Amino acid sequence: MAGYSSNASEKKSSDAVDDLPILNAENLQNNLKIIYYSRTFLSIIGGVIAGILGFTSLTGFIFYFLVMAITSIGLAAKAGFSFHSYFESWNQILLDGFLSGLMSFVLFWTFAYDIVHIF
Amino acid sequence: MGVGFVVGVFGVLILAHAAYSTIQYRSLLKIMQEEFAGPPFNVAIELVLGLVLSMWAALTVPGKFLSINPESEENRIVSLPANLDFMVFNHRGKLFSQQLDLKLKH
Repeated sequence: MAGYSSNASEKKSSDAVDDLPILNAENLQNNLKIIYYSRTFLSIIGGVIAGILGFTSLTGFIFYFLVMAITSIGLAAKAGFSFHSYFESWNQILLDGFLSGLMSFVLFWTFAYDIVHIF
Repeated sequence: MGVGFVVGVFGVLILAHAAYSTIQYRSLLKIMQEEFAGPPFNVAIELVLGLVLSMWAALTVPGKFLSINPESEENRIVSLPANLDFMVFNHRGKLFSQQLDLKLKH
């Protein structure tokens, strides 16, 4: 019994030395999926709003950055500002889904602009 | 699904109405032969309202964040069935427990 307990404590200390980040991959996938969903939906909504407002060229892209910044703050608030219990690093919350969101933003921006201002 | 989803649908409807109002405003401008400088005030209000409602929906509808720490409370229960394949119940200890039950009954 004594040998077993000493063995266990030794194992624990070696784990601390290695300091491997152990995390639940399924839950991480779930969290990233939630981030992608939020960003895609909000970039579509942002695109429609930019189109209705009649933004052109650089103004629209600045508007996209603004919307994504607000989204990042919202997601961070949703995570309770404790990034490391839900994500590997804090920039996952800021950057994931940014470029794919830009594509759908441009698509719906031009779509709404055409409907409202051109036709 | 639920309240957040309904709020999101409502936000999208508000945006659609804002688009329709802008189209009407533009046709009015065409009649008055003026240039489009910016959206009217009520459209701007509708757009802000639609953005806020959709933002709320986008943050609530996809679900809750789950903790990735193996030490956290919810992961202890979830990680137990992952080991179920390695659990063997068909061994001779089964017989032993039955006999123990008989002994306890008597």
